[in-house]
Amino acid sequence: MDKEILLHVENLNVSYRVNGGWLRAVRDFHAQIRRGDICGIVGESGSGKSTVATAIIGYLSDNGRIEKGSSIRFSGEELTTKGRLAMQSLWGTQIKLVPQNPAAALNPSIKVGEQLAEIARYHLGMNRHDARKAAVEMFGKVQLADPESVVFRYPHELSGGMQQRVVIAMALITRPRLLILDEPTTGLDVTTEAVILDLIRDLIDDMQAAALYITHNLGVVAQVCDQVIVMYAGEIMADGSVKKVFIEPIHPYTIGLLNSIPKLGQSKRQGALQSIEGSPPSLKNPPKGCVFAQRCPAAVEKCYTEKPELEHTHEGRLVRCHRWQEIHSGVLDIIPETQADVEQVERLERESLLKVENMTKHFGVRRSLMEVIQGKKPAPIRAVDGVNFGVQKGRTLGLVGESGSGKTTLSRLIIGLTERTDGEIELMKIKIRSNVRERSADVLAQMQMIFQNPQNSLNPYLTVGQQIRRPLMKLAKMKHDEAAQEVYRLLRAVNLQDDYASRFPGELSGGEKQRVAIARAFASNPELIICDEPVSALDVSVQAAVLNLLARLQEDRDTAYIFISHDLAVVGYLADYIAVMYLGQLFEVGYGHDLFEPPYHPYTEALISAIPVPDPSHVSQRIRLQGDIPSPRSLPTGCRFHTRCPRKIGAICETEDPPWRDDGEGHFIRCHIPLEDLQAMQQQLVMAEASS
Amino acid sequence: MQFFTPTPTLVGLRRSLKAVGKFARELFSRPPTAAGTLTVLFFLFLAVFGPQIAPYPDPNFQKNPSQEAPTLNLREFRLGDYPFGTDRLGRDVFSRVILGTRSIFRAAGLGTLIAVIVGTFVGLFIGYQGAWVDEIVGRIIDAILAIPALLLALVIIGIIRNLNFEPNSWQSEVADNAVLIVIAIVYAPIVARVVRSATLEIKSRQFVEAAQIRGESPLYIIFREIFPSVIPALVVEGALRFSYAIFLVASLGFLGFGARPPSPDWGLMVSENRGGLYALTPWALEYPAGAIALLVIGVNLMSDGIKRTVQKSG
Repeated sequence: MDKEILLHVENLNVSYRVNGGWLRAVRDFHAQIRRGDICGIVGESGSGKSTVATAIIGYLSDNGRIEKGSSIRFSGEELTTKGRLAMQSLWGTQIKLVPQNPAAALNPSIKVGEQLAEIARYHLGMNRHDARKAAVEMFGKVQLADPESVVFRYPHELSGGMQQRVVIAMALITRPRLLILDEPTTGLDVTTEAVILDLIRDLIDDMQAAALYITHNLGVVAQVCDQVIVMYAGEIMADGSVKKVFIEPIHPYTIGLLNSIPKLGQSKRQGALQSIEGSPPSLKNPPKGCVFAQRCPAAVEKCYTEKPELEHTHEGRLVRCHRWQEIHSGVLDIIPETQADVEQVERLERESLLKVENMTKHFGVRRSLMEVIQGKKPAPIRAVDGVNFGVQKGRTLGLVGESGSGKTTLSRLIIGLTERTDGEIELMKIKIRSNVRERSADVLAQMQMIFQNPQNSLNPYLTVGQQIRRPLMKLAKMKHDEAAQEVYRLLRAVNLQDDYASRFPGELSGGEKQRVAIARAFASNPELIICDEPVSALDVSVQAAVLNLLARLQEDRDTAYIFISHDLAVVGYLADYIAVMYLGQLFEVGYGHDLFEPPYHPYTEALISAIPVPDPSHVSQRIRLQGDIPSPRSLPTGCRFHTRCPRKIGAICETEDPPWRDDGEGHFIRCHIPLEDLQAMQQQLVMAEASS
Repeated sequence: MQFFTPTPTLVGLRRSLKAVGKFARELFSRPPTAAGTLTVLFFLFLAVFGPQIAPYPDPNFQKNPSQEAPTLNLREFRLGDYPFGTDRLGRDVFSRVILGTRSIFRAAGLGTLIAVIVGTFVGLFIGYQGAWVDEIVGRIIDAILAIPALLLALVIIGIIRNLNFEPNSWQSEVADNAVLIVIAIVYAPIVARVVRSATLEIKSRQFVEAAQIRGESPLYIIFREIFPSVIPALVVEGALRFSYAIFLVASLGFLGFGARPPSPDWGLMVSENRGGLYALTPWALEYPAGAIALLVIGVNLMSDGIKRTVQKSG
């Protein structure tokens, strides 16, 4: 614990000038980071976590300023008083930033090796030859396959995961003493994220640098960080070692956050998620008392009137709460008892609602001039390739897979926004047409969709009321007055007040917008709703409330869902059945609860293993998928997963399509390995994990 | 409640009025933009009330033709006299400059308006429909855009002028408004392009897809869902087109393809008073030329300000 303190932030206050006034975005921030430690800052959007990072490196936007009295000391040197020029040499060698979007951080017209070598030449004074050699070596260190050839590639020739490695290599080549990582894995798939996180952890340990890791994902913090700072509305709520903060949280906000994430294997039938109601306060006029008081389940009179100080606890933690001692000693239990909104059922099986057979979508590719001359026809992109499944009335089918697996295309084929190449869809035993424009109003009314990004799915120029009324009149054939009444009923069903009807989407928060989108999807009282990543754009505290809402509405209205997500825990919470998709095909289908216990398909196993679990004591099985998802233009032969499969058994995987294997109880796995063998192998790992 | 409750439409109306007010406030908060906008408003005022303001409402009023050489005496600056002097025909330059605003606003303003309306319809339609409609109409637009605006304008005017229409028939009416029509024809494709690309961007938003999956007709989607989001781009483009249109109208007048003598057209006035006569009556050229410059600069400042304001408010 007595490692050198590299970064010491005290009393940091940052304001932004907005519309003539000063907005206090970060207030009274403290942090100490030691060498070799990774300190995580978690918080929702608007909590000020990125502002802290930019303030530390002295790169605030023009309308931002660090208030007097703030102190940022980097190995004893005060940074707040330094000018741009003095900071520049620090930026080059001592403090490095890994940004969220690697594609934007790389120059698209220069080869990545050259971009890396340039840093080595400029800041380390190397000559051209040495710099090139250093670049190759660095690429090897960040585990880029075949570094000699990668240096000659342009950024667009690399996948997102590879680009992020290049950016990390660029940050590390000067052996900086402080690394600031601003959500470096947010845009990546879980499988890639897991590999990058391992890499970051190893590199930091190796170089004995200090790192500040900014993220909204508690799982990521638990996996890579030593210390964690929990921020809310610009203030530190709690601070301490990851183990302490996660295992014995004493701040109501931390407790709320940890409980609002569905655990892997947790199901809606076991109880509703504990959500944090409400939304963060506006920074324009922050509340007089505790900033979290309005949403806090333990708030008392004092919390609204008196601002809690950042207190030291006996364990060297910091906490900002009037009642932390009561929580710590167990006098106050703030985890509310929740009842499941969803009934337990004897049998999951119900009558069939939707049947999808041999669903196929091949996107044509424009021929290049060379191909036209040679008379070749390019291979089409086989986004969805012969998928069969069914959905039962009132049940949820979860669909998981990495990006590029074809799950979104599949959902668009079903709703009719993309025309299918081949296949049949039967809704309530009636075959329905391919294109949504050719479908009758009765069919449309039975099938609706909730989109991923509520920002995009509501028209900014129509009021909430207008947008919900339209499907009522169009699909449910209501009269104007009747529809107006129904709008209020729907708004209340999604926990919004009546006056929201006259508001525009721009006046709502992300979670409220998604509620409106849900109300709109339910307006025609459909039998089936396709939910395409409905919570992935939302903050964790809001996500839980939306998931609870979806579960409750399904129970009330007996609507079936096709629920698409890359997040296995979220899918597992809501789904009764789960299908796992990879490169346009299904590889595993089973009951929701089955999927998290062996046997599972090697791909599912890798997905589960890659999920960052918000529990620092959890030892992951460390099954990592190497490489990236192959292009759907040139699919691997045999089993499509063989190129990345950790359990590949031999030549048979490369040549033959794997058979569907059935355990006799509705669990199907498409693999060459017999189920018993899979189970034995995977059980071993689970045991090993439990004993470690 | 039996009392008045605001219906969503009324609330919406009040909100949009509020939005317009906010827009205007932001526009006037930047000094160059405010100056530009005020200039345009000033000229617009002249265009509307010109005949009431001008000391000699008849543009062809001549001082006694037999009188001595024209004068410009700034020390005796009195309205009602000849503050800008008189031209070689003895006509009051001041009155003619004022009266000229109407023709320029008529040709440039109305022409731009027609171009914006036509361009919006075409752009929305081809942008939403896509596929072969976009391919064909898009290529035609590209072909028109390949011809320089002034050249195209000259060709079209040449054609219209060479058709011999009976006087007072509707065709002759058309011929009289040739410049206005030219502006509309030259700028409609440009507006269509801008609206098309804005439509393409908005079409991919999911609220359009949400409308499709509840079976809305293409017309509803185009006008109710897409059009409002196109308006910001349209306002910016319209203001920009207007400034180019003023320039084009003046150029055509100067080249002798615009208004015909003796009408008080700025471009025409510049053209009539240049050459050997310039030395005699320089003011007869300088004032209309200055007016053109002032208006073009004013519109440019205004359109630039509109663009910034729109971009800022997203």
